[in-house]
Amino acid sequence: MDEVPEAAAPSGVGAPLFAHASEAELARILDYYGIEWQYEPTAFPILWNLDGNVVESFSPDYYLPEFDLYVELTTLKQSLVRKKNRKLRRLRELYPDIRVKLLYARDFRALMMKYGRLGLLDSLSGTEGQVIVVHDTAPPGDTAAAPSRAPAGTPRSRMRRRHAAIASEPAGAAEALTRTTERCR
Amino acid sequence: MRQPDLTGDVASVLITEEEIRTRVADLGRRISEDYEGKELTLVSVLKGSLPFMADLMRAITIPVAIDLMEVSSYGTATESSGLVRILKDLSSSIDGREVLIVEDIIDTGLTLNYLVRYLRGKNPRSLRICTLVDKPARRLVDIPIDYRGFEIPDQFVIGYGLDYGEYYRNLPFIGVLKPEVYASP
Repeated sequence: MDEVPEAAAPSGVGAPLFAHASEAELARILDYYGIEWQYEPTAFPILWNLDGNVVESFSPDYYLPEFDLYVELTTLKQSLVRKKNRKLRRLRELYPDIRVKLLYARDFRALMMKYGRLGLLDSLSGTEGQVIVVHDTAPPGDTAAAPSRAPAGTPRSRMRRRHAAIASEPAGAAEALTRTTERCR
Repeated sequence: MRQPDLTGDVASVLITEEEIRTRVADLGRRISEDYEGKELTLVSVLKGSLPFMADLMRAITIPVAIDLMEVSSYGTATESSGLVRILKDLSSSIDGREVLIVEDIIDTGLTLNYLVRYLRGKNPRSLRICTLVDKPARRLVDIPIDYRGFEIPDQFVIGYGLDYGEYYRNLPFIGVLKPEVYASP
């Protein structure tokens, strides 16, 4: 048997603190198949006040560099994703060149079914899958005229450093503390 | 998982045996024309593509070599931080050969993406993809498909190699599994 190819190497780029257990599970799946990912690397401003300050942003959960694709995952019931759909529509209007894929609860369920993990679905979905939220980031009034990449030393970079620990937890574990900025969950 | 009822668990037949036969013959004709005079190796991805491979290779009218591969699935991973593994590697070199990956179904594209990268590393002259079933609604990573049998809606399908819990592969048609089958513990 050949050596495991480069494609199988885990992204291992840091340690994000996932906002939701489903996000950690999807990260494990991407790692398993050697898909490089970044967690919330970009905050796209989608609403400004009259002073030009950003009052609302959208940070898709993952960016897959190989495919130049952003992925947003929600496990909320379909009836509760209106706000997220609105943000996504706004993002597509303002940044038409950005490719974003939204995975709904039904998509995540199908993924869990495919991998024989339906038994974990409840613990990974909706409010059950949410973990403790600790907001320690700047308020949404920060000025940012363009999509911002999280610089080193920000809470997001601390997220990435936590990645290895989270990803190594047993599948379905939802023990991660959460630090997040402009989540719309 | 409860004891499967091979035909009783099928909610509806999505693609009949006859439709499969006709489509496979058509694919075989197209592949025979496209690869006329070339050294073609069909690489079947176990286990799901076995029936398709067996029928497709007999529908191809030019000389072909065949090989088999099997890769692990995230669903069978025993370690949460595991990586995809080659369970069954190629038996012969594909260096300089025209290679056609034969898949039963492409949904997320994760396994196929891994395989493509792996096989590209073995220096084939060309590498193309043939799938019997394409479920684009579930696609996570985009991969160009060269030969497609059927595009199907977002339903959980079984039969003609496709399984649920390793069963139903021997159904001669492709059917939709009753939801209560996978909802039951």
